[in-house]
Amino acid sequence: MLVGIPLEQSNSVVKPKDCAGEMSEYIVAVAEGRCKRSFARVFSYFAPRLRSYALKQMGNEALAMELVQDTMSNVWQKAHLFNAEKGSPSTWIFTIARNIRFDMLRKLQNRKEDICSDDLWPVLCEQTADANETSLDEQITLEQIGFMFESLPIKQKAVIEAIYIDGKSQQEVADELSIPLGTVKSRTRLALQRLKGMLQDHD
Amino acid sequence: MTKFHPAPEQLKQFAQGALSPVEAIMISAHCDMCARCQHVVKTETAQQANHVLSDSPSNYTEHIRQDLDSMLASITQLPKARPFRSSRIPPSTIELDGRRFSVPRTLRKFIPTMGNWSGLVGRLWQAPVDIGASGAANFIYMGPGGGVPEHTHRGFEFTLVIDGEFDDGINHYAAGDFIAMDEEHTHTPRSDDPHGCLVFSVLDQPLHFTSGIARLLNPFSHVFFR
Repeated sequence: MLVGIPLEQSNSVVKPKDCAGEMSEYIVAVAEGRCKRSFARVFSYFAPRLRSYALKQMGNEALAMELVQDTMSNVWQKAHLFNAEKGSPSTWIFTIARNIRFDMLRKLQNRKEDICSDDLWPVLCEQTADANETSLDEQITLEQIGFMFESLPIKQKAVIEAIYIDGKSQQEVADELSIPLGTVKSRTRLALQRLKGMLQDHD
Repeated sequence: MTKFHPAPEQLKQFAQGALSPVEAIMISAHCDMCARCQHVVKTETAQQANHVLSDSPSNYTEHIRQDLDSMLASITQLPKARPFRSSRIPPSTIELDGRRFSVPRTLRKFIPTMGNWSGLVGRLWQAPVDIGASGAANFIYMGPGGGVPEHTHRGFEFTLVIDGEFDDGINHYAAGDFIAMDEEHTHTPRSDDPHGCLVFSVLDQPLHFTSGIARLLNPFSHVFFR
């Protein structure tokens, strides 16, 4: 056993608020260096608490443990999405657990609504995590940009989508679409000019 | 300016994840348009987290400790998640008569399921949306001076104003407003906005028309219900 759980007695009396700074540092260490020791500290604090929550919610030991496992797996695998400026570690971990619980219950109750927790609370989506936080004015601008993007000519749209949304390099796009690099560059330039023009017209 | 918000209890239950999916969709869409309720939900979520995770574990047996120990060991074997990349931007607007309306984030995923606009009585247009649930979800557009005859509800009706303004004889609503109606409410929605009014509405039972000649519509009220 490489990492044991240091289940210190003191753990059970420390409130989430009181160890937020410490836990934030551990999560950052997981994000940056896959630090198992730091993760073990986060796990030993939160897993038993999540288990209590999950037992109350699911009323069944096996489901409760599944909820704990899914939640803590997300913390381990997606630690880079944690942002201490947006909320405390306990809030972040709670929202992950709440989302998983929502989806588990939907499945158990066989609900037919075509909605999952990420649609309601985009906690773990890199794309939309910020959309929820931006002010109303910025949201409108984002929506307008989405609309402007839709109105680009298809060829320009494909290039912009590959570069700005999929994060590909201009060379990768050129290879993929089998077009010269110069064409990718000129389409990008034209599309950006066009978007800029539309934004100016809008004001 | 948004004046009508979900009840504090609804926002709290939304933060807890305790609402039904349909109600959660409507509250979430309202929050997309309402900075005030976004803030309330954020605060509620932090409080919930603190409350729920403050419970210090009791009846902690050796067996559970071992389970958690092996869970920890198996989790740390997992690789880091690959960055999530969406391959395309979902549509964010809908169109009616050459006008484009921006749709709140939560409702965008349903845009591809939207049916055609159909004209109903009273300068009223409706396009059904499949949210996968029983009941009916529609984008409803009231043209200037158009509206729905006086009616009551047999179940719940949640409405979110997306664009423009309307009046229902009880209140005057504007973009972002959230309206919950049930058997207790009788109203007559009508828009005198020169640009009309677009709303998104979910119903679990057909409307029941309550006055005048519109009562003749009752046998056909499923028209207002998918």
